[in-house]
Amino acid sequence: MQIKVEGLKYTYSPKTPFEKVALDDISFTINEGDTIGIIGSTGSGKSTLCQHFNALIRISHGKIFVGDMELHSKKLDLGVLRKTVGMLFQYPEYQLFADTVKDDVEFGPLNFGMPKEEVGELAKYALELTGLDFDAVKDKSPFELSGGQKRRAAIAGVIASRPEILVLDEPTAGLDPQGKKEILDLVKKLKESYVKTVIMISHNMDEIAEYCNRVIVLNDSKLIYDTTPRELFSNPEKLKETGLEVPHVVAISSMLKEGGIDLGETPLTKEEFISLLTRRLKCEK
Amino acid sequence: MREVSFGQYYPSNSAVHKMDARVKLLLTIAFIVMVFLVKSLYAYIAIGVFILLTTLVSRVPVLKVLKSIKAIIFIVVIMSIINLFANAEGKVLCSWWIFTITDGGIITAVNLALRLIFLVMGTSLLTYTTTPMELTDGMESLMYPLKLIKVPTHDIAIIMSIALRFIPILMEEVDKIMMAQKARGACFDRGGLLQRAKALLPVLIPLFVSAFRRADELALALDARCYNATPNRTKYKKATLAIRDLIATLITGIFIVLVVAINNNFWGLY
Repeated sequence: MQIKVEGLKYTYSPKTPFEKVALDDISFTINEGDTIGIIGSTGSGKSTLCQHFNALIRISHGKIFVGDMELHSKKLDLGVLRKTVGMLFQYPEYQLFADTVKDDVEFGPLNFGMPKEEVGELAKYALELTGLDFDAVKDKSPFELSGGQKRRAAIAGVIASRPEILVLDEPTAGLDPQGKKEILDLVKKLKESYVKTVIMISHNMDEIAEYCNRVIVLNDSKLIYDTTPRELFSNPEKLKETGLEVPHVVAISSMLKEGGIDLGETPLTKEEFISLLTRRLKCEK
Repeated sequence: MREVSFGQYYPSNSAVHKMDARVKLLLTIAFIVMVFLVKSLYAYIAIGVFILLTTLVSRVPVLKVLKSIKAIIFIVVIMSIINLFANAEGKVLCSWWIFTITDGGIITAVNLALRLIFLVMGTSLLTYTTTPMELTDGMESLMYPLKLIKVPTHDIAIIMSIALRFIPILMEEVDKIMMAQKARGACFDRGGLLQRAKALLPVLIPLFVSAFRRADELALALDARCYNATPNRTKYKKATLAIRDLIATLITGIFIVLVVAINNNFWGLY
């Protein structure tokens, strides 16, 4: 399912002293199968943009198409749209509310009118996909879980309704390195099953470089780049103007270049970096 | 949720904004007392004109002040209806079963409605033009006499300012949680009253949890910085009285005398 954004504009509290332009004439297309990263400094409009994808913010100017649904139309079926586009907010563990973990995970599917018999299965599948032991946690209160477990349960609550498109707003914020890797591997796993398109906001450039095939950069409410990570991180100077960093491997290879060891290409992952470096060192011998 | 306008500070640079919070507080109290003492319709008109003029001087949009009434319109209607039937003085205009409407009833109902509306307009004008910090500082300063009989006025003030500070934070939180639950298919504007109330549960529970968490964190942060209400705390910004406060007091004073005169039909207008 394709997402098409055309001339999207959004202003917070228009016509008051608090008026603030959040999005200014944004247009781009996300194809089915993309894992797209959205980056930009704080306040650049990333979250506002993502909240448009499942009509949590209604469009005031411009158009968005998700498949054949028109988000700017008044007759939009919100239920169908929100089932199709799953949205995981920052710190999703703060939205847990039900008596048991199972009830909480079933909240979404039941709201979307999925049949009761199936919902139990969906909840079990989603919880197990996130790496939680279904039988151990299903009857526990979500507030009894540990921090990492809470986040998993919250993620299960979003993916249980089987969205085709998954929007993640800083899914790894506040986790330790191990937890970060587990969440990202989970996203990868989801991508191989029923989730077809992933849209991910992140401040961590290493994650973007490793997991995304496309990246969109927002700066001051405007879209300034829509390209591949390799293309983007090949010009570190340009990126720095917008206040963003480059991935660690890119930073290291540009330092090596300054010291006289040119790797030739821009590496995006550790593995790529190591193979480029060994190739280069072998050449020298 | 961002639409809630009652009592939110509206930044501007007007004379009313610059006034001393203590003076504004006292004048507002005087205004409220006057509103509740007045009985004549002409005096109410005068009060309405006064509120309108003050709003214009404060450069807060008139519509915003009028919108603050929306929050209490339900109470106003209910109270007016009760008063309409409860007061059985005067000429009977119409009567049905146990309900009778008299002209006395109508007058009390209108009086009450106007009083409540003016009360809210006056107080919301105060909060529109005064930041919560100024307001609590002003209250602490006004409570000074109570300090002499060992009332912990500073503690009361800090509790008040924390409570006020938390309102926008919690409102933002409600916004966020509502969005997250909406993304999971929750619907807050469908069904009957009971259904709607039930639909709010997934918002209220996380809200309470986070309110307690925040309160805990704030208490720790205050402790970590050795905060305590020692008697001789100094202030970074000290409020001082200026000429404009005197002028405002005079104008309000003259106005109150005027309204009292109209109310008692001093000039024989009616």
